[in-house]
Amino acid sequence: MTLGSAVLMGGTFVLIASGVTVASGRDGWMTVLPGFAVGIPYGLMVLSVLLQYPNKNLLQISEILFGKWIGKIIGMIYILITGYYGGLLVAMLGNMYRTIMPLTPLWVFYLGELLLVLYLLGSGIEVFARFSEVVFPVIVIALALNIVLAIPQIEQGELLPILSEGITPLFFGVLKVMPFPMIYILFLAGISSFLPTSKQDLGQLKTGVWRAVFLVGILNMMVVLIQILVFGPRETIRLGNGILVLGKSIEISRTVSGIESLFMGVWLGAMVIKITACSFMVSWGIETVFNLKGLKWNLIVGAVFLGIAFGFTRGPYMLKEVSLVEGYLMFPLTSVWIPILWGVSRWKKGAGNQ
Amino acid sequence: MNMIKDLTIRPKVKQIRKSPQYSFEEDLNKPLSRQMVKEILSTSTDVVFREFFLQGKERISCMLAAIDGMVDKNQLDQFILKPLMVDLAGHPEMAQLTIANVLDKTIQSILPGLELKKISKMGEALDAILSGDAVIFFGESIEALVFGARGWANRGVAEPITESIVKGPREGFSETLRINTSLLRRKIKHPSLRMISLKLGNLTNTDIVVTYIEKVARPDIVAEVFRRLGTIKMDSMLGNGYIEEMIEDNPYSPFPQIAFTERPDVLAGKLLEGKVGIIVDGTPIVLSVPATLTQFLNVNEDYYQRAMVAILGRFIRYLGFFLALLAPSIYIAVTTVHQEIIPTDLLMSISAGQQGVPFPALLEALIMTIVLEILQEAGLRLPKPIGSTIGIVGALVIGDAAVKASLVSPLMVIVIGLTAIASYAIPTFDLGLAVRIIRFPFMLLAGSLGFFGISVGLYMLTIHLLTLRSFGVPYLSPIAPLRIRALLQDTFVRAPWWALKRRPQLLDVEEPQSGGKGKG
Amino acid sequence: MKRKRRKTVLVLILIACSLFLTGCWGTREVEELEPLIGLGFDLGQKPGTYLITEQFAKPTKGETSTSAEIHRTFSIEASSLREAYEKTSKIISHVPFMGSLKVIVIGEDVAKVGFLDVADFLQRYSEFRRSMYLVLAKGKAQSILNVKMRTGTIVAMYIKDNIETGKTISTYPTVRLGHYLTVLGRKSTAPIMPVIEMVKSGDEGIEYETDGKEEAQELRIQGAGVFRGDQLIDFLNDEETKGYMWLENQVLQRPMSTVGTRKGEPNFTGQVLNSKTRYKVSDKDGTIGLQYQIKASIEIDEVQGLKEQLSETEWVDLMKGAEKSFAKVIQKECELSIQKERRLGLDFLGIGRHIEERNSAYWKTVKDQWEQKIADFPVSVNVEVTIHHSGMSNSSATVN
Repeated sequence: MTLGSAVLMGGTFVLIASGVTVASGRDGWMTVLPGFAVGIPYGLMVLSVLLQYPNKNLLQISEILFGKWIGKIIGMIYILITGYYGGLLVAMLGNMYRTIMPLTPLWVFYLGELLLVLYLLGSGIEVFARFSEVVFPVIVIALALNIVLAIPQIEQGELLPILSEGITPLFFGVLKVMPFPMIYILFLAGISSFLPTSKQDLGQLKTGVWRAVFLVGILNMMVVLIQILVFGPRETIRLGNGILVLGKSIEISRTVSGIESLFMGVWLGAMVIKITACSFMVSWGIETVFNLKGLKWNLIVGAVFLGIAFGFTRGPYMLKEVSLVEGYLMFPLTSVWIPILWGVSRWKKGAGNQ
Repeated sequence: MNMIKDLTIRPKVKQIRKSPQYSFEEDLNKPLSRQMVKEILSTSTDVVFREFFLQGKERISCMLAAIDGMVDKNQLDQFILKPLMVDLAGHPEMAQLTIANVLDKTIQSILPGLELKKISKMGEALDAILSGDAVIFFGESIEALVFGARGWANRGVAEPITESIVKGPREGFSETLRINTSLLRRKIKHPSLRMISLKLGNLTNTDIVVTYIEKVARPDIVAEVFRRLGTIKMDSMLGNGYIEEMIEDNPYSPFPQIAFTERPDVLAGKLLEGKVGIIVDGTPIVLSVPATLTQFLNVNEDYYQRAMVAILGRFIRYLGFFLALLAPSIYIAVTTVHQEIIPTDLLMSISAGQQGVPFPALLEALIMTIVLEILQEAGLRLPKPIGSTIGIVGALVIGDAAVKASLVSPLMVIVIGLTAIASYAIPTFDLGLAVRIIRFPFMLLAGSLGFFGISVGLYMLTIHLLTLRSFGVPYLSPIAPLRIRALLQDTFVRAPWWALKRRPQLLDVEEPQSGGKGKG
Repeated sequence: MKRKRRKTVLVLILIACSLFLTGCWGTREVEELEPLIGLGFDLGQKPGTYLITEQFAKPTKGETSTSAEIHRTFSIEASSLREAYEKTSKIISHVPFMGSLKVIVIGEDVAKVGFLDVADFLQRYSEFRRSMYLVLAKGKAQSILNVKMRTGTIVAMYIKDNIETGKTISTYPTVRLGHYLTVLGRKSTAPIMPVIEMVKSGDEGIEYETDGKEEAQELRIQGAGVFRGDQLIDFLNDEETKGYMWLENQVLQRPMSTVGTRKGEPNFTGQVLNSKTRYKVSDKDGTIGLQYQIKASIEIDEVQGLKEQLSETEWVDLMKGAEKSFAKVIQKECELSIQKERRLGLDFLGIGRHIEERNSAYWKTVKDQWEQKIADFPVSVNVEVTIHHSGMSNSSATVN
């Protein structure tokens, strides 16, 4: 289920450390895994709906269950949200890269990203899946290296005291993390028309969801953990791009240092995967709702992303917007739509059987 | 696990590629005419026509047609002319010969000779004579006999030039088709080994043999090979390159999608994996399809060495591949954009070396790489004795002089030299060429965009490789789609023979026998 | 359809190629750079300005490229680092490269006033890294960085090398920018920094050959300075700093001697092979205190004052005595350090942090008055020394 893990991972590790520590302080690392785990029930719900209506994506199923107009409205919201988010991600990556290569104009980064995204989009979902199969292990290795190599810089005892503030701050942290898996769920919703639906395959898919959530959750937890250990909670909050600074502070036997530029290539891959996932979602949405397909539309989607990205050239503002979108748009949409869908489909199934 | 429907092998529908063709007037399906044959061929002085008589019930005027130099004249003398002209004289059989029965009688009782068959068309007669057989015409009969007596000068079985190994057989394919098929037969002595001939090329009439192992190769791939070969309509078929281009899935990609080899043991190994081989008369290079990227980086020697040694060898080769592709680009990126990675001492060294060099690093690298390419090409074309001298002169002396003249910086020379050596570690010439081509865009990307550029380039390359298929098999198998067993066993490391219990997973073969079922 | 596809691909390729035509944005050639190795801060003459000393390495031209010993040092008076950068750039023909900065020397005067403002550039600008070393200068940073060392090395590189080999003697802490910032973030702990000072020939019993010049030509790192936030409050002398190293478990290798502690008996010197410091929060009838437990393993290198050959049992007893002596030395250093902390009211030993780690409930009640509480907070130190071996020989080379 590498594709799923890769989409779930996306660029989450960049901002997660700072966000979680703001909410929960020193114990922020504990909130990561539970936050991601929230994605599991949603994922299972998507899959069980799929079992009933094989080979359709959730937008089509919504149309069936809720009626044409509501279904189409949901589709429109889906397109708008994923599209907007995709554009924001493009901007985020450009922003990240600019901190180490400040003189390169933004549009160059955007062009590079979009070139990759469009190539993947045009080659089809299968190539995208294989691409993430190839790239995701590299991402995992790079993250693991980043973490391991930073171990010599750990300040002793930074983790203690554990739970000094009690459990309550943890809830805030979990709330902060929860939106991250939501985009993954939306992706599942769109890709469901391509998934095989025999009972056995479904079992494999379910394990896939579990595996993805745990793998990504644990990795992200380690990322937050190492940052708290090396920087201390106050610094972690202050440092916007914690993972970059972590990369910078790595010193391998006093010769090679500051290899964050190498890792940046890997983060590029991670973000590109996420952005491509968003663009796939948009194109599926467009396909389902408007019945339009083709290369032309893909290019238009790319252009729209570019436009959105340009609207956010101010770094801090953009980051705030990202978390807003995640928190207030994606999370509600997903957390409401999916369970209702599932509930209704169960009810209909029950009704159909009687 | 692939949650998406496993659409792995999917032979695409090919477009027919056109190439220029001449048209000739002869209709080669016309019935045989001895006079016509003589007319068509007599303008070439190397065609020999030997006329003689058989005095049977009727007087039969016979003619033996063959090409001097292509036919084994000794066999003609001993096994055609002698029996017909000398041994038959005075034999009771002779008295019963008529034009009607002479052909059958000759085949059945008069002439010894392994290959003796009847033909009745013009095309067949011309083809036989031009291929080096002898044709015997009896009177004005519309049937004639073909006597297989080929014997021309050839290189014999020599050591292959392009592929050399230390510890293994040294036989290589030759230019004659029959020798090659015989070499292959000696490796696989099983009735399932199939060899199917066809002819390609309107003017060249080249013999092609498609070979595969019946139950091991996937039937749809075999069928696809025949289909694609059938669509080739060309005048000339001088070598494997022509076929390669015509039947490749994606001729625009720099990466080779068809493997080739000069060694019968390598070909046998590939056939045993389920691949299909194409032997072309006139060239010692034999093609094999389908081909995947990892195959190009593996060498048969791996199988003749111990597992540990083979693993090291493979690792070095993969490292060489990446270095050859990326070393100059990484050096450019690090020295022009990301200087913070370099330890300060090294930074000063590089800086000191580059003081006074008039070119920026990117330009320097490009110039050196181009010079390197020229040297490599020159080394190939020069006759052997001069070739190695040029290598030494070019590389060492000129390089050293260039550094002293402050035209290039010493570190750049080292990097480019390392790249050149690394590219020789790539065992397949074709892949080495691909790497050489791709190196240039990477350098440009690195020079303008640093690691971002290299990353974008690498991802684009990956996506391109992912979309490539060779006869329907994804190019990057077994990395993607992920076939763990094949990956572990035979790609980056080679498991010892006692651990390779199943046949490679690559092609989903059905035979549940000795090798076991290889299902992904 | 294919034709159209081919066209779009071509157009895309052309667009991609145009990337290269517009020139190189972020690229700069290596020979354009002038790497900045050392930075020094002092107070400037005009109020509100700083005297910023920048030490660049100058690569030498030539084929045999070795690490350059030539350097250029500027001292610029400016109100911020960026302004200093601008002024320097106007002078040097190359681009100052920040990524190679290794050492930051903070002058005494600016330290007393507070240096965080001027140092903000260091932790914000992306070219710097958090692994740069911080040292405190006795006197002006400018004079330190301008010392003409006898080895000819650039002063900043010398300082860096000195710090890195410092772990073999573990007498002063190694403070990187990242570590300093993290400690600053703890609020309860006072950061400390090692002190670098000039050594003239004849100072404190050290003599070396000068070229007849009066200025110092060697530097030394010894002792530390204690800060409240970013303001220097006081210095720690050599022994107090050593105490700090013990208590904070930062001793890796350390030469030790018992000379002066044992009267009339043989003295020992040795090397600490490894040492571990643990701490425990103790609760004696409601009073919370901190207990340090130091375990060190020492090898003996020198025995002095041994007047006769000893038998085996006597040697063993002697060793045991040595263990006690060494423990006393360590104990004294630690206690000096703790006393200093109490006098200053600044918790550079990080005791508050340790309390927070182990007993956060109690910490919450005292953290607001911590500076006052330090003066009488119960701290005890328990030292255990084991002699690992005594070198190549078992006894002295005395004749009798």
